[in-house]
Amino acid sequence: MGVVILLVMAVGVAAMLTRRLPTAFALTILAIVIAFLAGAPLTGENSVLDTVIQEGAPALAATMIAILLGSWLGKLLDETGIAGTLVRKIVEFGGDRPVVVALGVLAVSTLVGTVTGSAPAAMLAGIIGIPAMIAVGIPKVTAAGTILMGIAAGMPFELPIWQFFSTALELPVDTVRGFMLKLFPFALAAAILFVLIETRRRGVEHAWSLKSASAKPASRRKQLGDAPWYALLTPLVPLVLALGLDVAILPSMLAGVLYALVTTTRPGEMNKRLLRTLYGGFEIAAAPIVLFIAIGILLAAVKLPGAVEALEPLIKAVSPQNPVLFVVVFTLLVPLCLYRGPLNVFGLGAGIAGVLIAAGIYPAVAVLGIATSYNQVFGVSDPTSTQTVWSAQYAGVTPQQVMLRTLPYVWAVALGGFCVTAATYL
Amino acid sequence: MTAALLDRATLAEIGALEATDDIEFGVRLLANTPTHESRDHDRLRQWARTADEFGASLAHVAPTARVVESGDGLAKGLLARYTSRPVPTVELFTDTLALAEELIDRLGWRHWYPAGSVREAAIAHEAVHEQLHHGPAKSALKQSLGHVVLRAGRHRLYGHVAGADEIAAHAYARTVCGLGRSPLLLTAALATVADPQQGSPHGREK
Ligand SMILES: [Zn+2]
Repeated sequence: MGVVILLVMAVGVAAMLTRRLPTAFALTILAIVIAFLAGAPLTGENSVLDTVIQEGAPALAATMIAILLGSWLGKLLDETGIAGTLVRKIVEFGGDRPVVVALGVLAVSTLVGTVTGSAPAAMLAGIIGIPAMIAVGIPKVTAAGTILMGIAAGMPFELPIWQFFSTALELPVDTVRGFMLKLFPFALAAAILFVLIETRRRGVEHAWSLKSASAKPASRRKQLGDAPWYALLTPLVPLVLALGLDVAILPSMLAGVLYALVTTTRPGEMNKRLLRTLYGGFEIAAAPIVLFIAIGILLAAVKLPGAVEALEPLIKAVSPQNPVLFVVVFTLLVPLCLYRGPLNVFGLGAGIAGVLIAAGIYPAVAVLGIATSYNQVFGVSDPTSTQTVWSAQYAGVTPQQVMLRTLPYVWAVALGGFCVTAATYL
Repeated sequence: MTAALLDRATLAEIGALEATDDIEFGVRLLANTPTHESRDHDRLRQWARTADEFGASLAHVAPTARVVESGDGLAKGLLARYTSRPVPTVELFTDTLALAEELIDRLGWRHWYPAGSVREAAIAHEAVHEQLHHGPAKSALKQSLGHVVLRAGRHRLYGHVAGADEIAAHAYARTVCGLGRSPLLLTAALATVADPQQGSPHGREK
């Protein structure tokens, strides 16, 4: 039966790869099929309807709320001009040295990445950051890559991600945070090296473009003045609270929302702005929330006793226990988290992680190490993920070009993550 | 092919461009450059004028970059491009240059842009980028724009004005190639007939 389940998973991956089905739908269908194959009854204990769907769907509720708050905060950073001001300051102060501008935008992306990951973060940092980098001579692929590497460097501190791994892998937030702190130096070093090496290798680029003299301003964004300097500290507020003062994730993020609001908005306009940005946040959060509902359902399915029983011997047979082999095998498997592959943590990868833990093949922290390391690759290089597609297209290049340029750097991050995992938890 | 493109509406649009002064094209360029979203028109105009004067007064230097040609400029929406690595290179897009020459004839702009001058202007233009990236001219331009971002007693820190180097490059090309009008006028006219499919960040929104 385990083989049949794996085959079904392969079909599911194929459906996602060929884009026949949106990931969330594919995962849900996959979960239901797996549950039936595992011999789950329709209702009652460990059943398809009650356990997989009813309990699975809201299992990641805390993550969904964190995503929503992150999107809300992101909307506020945008609407109050905080993100734009950060980029503008960087260009004004460092504009004649492209590498300084790129490093500055990288820092902004990292900050923004801690607040809200993936596509919203890419847009927040990239809408002004990408054209600003191009305007000072950074080549387009480097510009798009800088945004993505920056967001990924912030990912270890992205509070919704902490919440996700904590719930999905049934680990305390402290443990997740502890590993993320070890992963962060790798992600940051890779991001900085990307900027330094790529700007040196590719130099600067200036184009005489047909659009340069067009009468319509390129951006019809609202004319924003500068946000006051203390408002620019907003992205740090949730971080300081959650990381430094041990405040729980959701209140930390709410504090960020309040800080952005009071530092930028007159009292009379606060209510309106809060509601408008919150509703805007819902729109941004819709896609990831749907995905997390599906992942919750899939996790519930693969954790059914029948599924664990069927999959355990198979997965045990192929899972390396020797630390060196562990690092080598999982490093070689990195490409499988690209193109909606089976190791994508926001897809079937979550299910595989669930099986690894439920079957007791690795300790949960080791699975955390695997999943977060793959997440660093996926978050930057997957040419089908929204943030990569958006950044590449906005810069005027293809997602594949960005993947090829960034992959060596994030592959090294994953390698670092596996080494730490093997050294600490195996 | 341009004959078909030069319908009455396009001609009217180009007529309006012709009536716009060269500095105003610089203002448009700045307005299209990120980080200037909230700046007022007067300030942009002052910067455009300063950058234009700066570029026009730059000493004439012989371009040293390697020149290569390619034919996919219209698809990319580009006339020319300067890349500093692996060796300083100016890429000229022959299809866009050919369209420019044809358009100049059709519009009767030959007295402004003599035969072959667009190509020459592109090389001169990109030579300025090289100068502004590697020479002392960079800080001189910054000083003359006078965009103070930090003041402490008598000390002032001048900020970078994104896009000013582009205006300076066009002004330099206009001067050394003996053009009657800014290359930006020609650029704007080309944009109205070429309508490039693929774009840079400019013009896209989230
Ligand atoms: Zn230029």
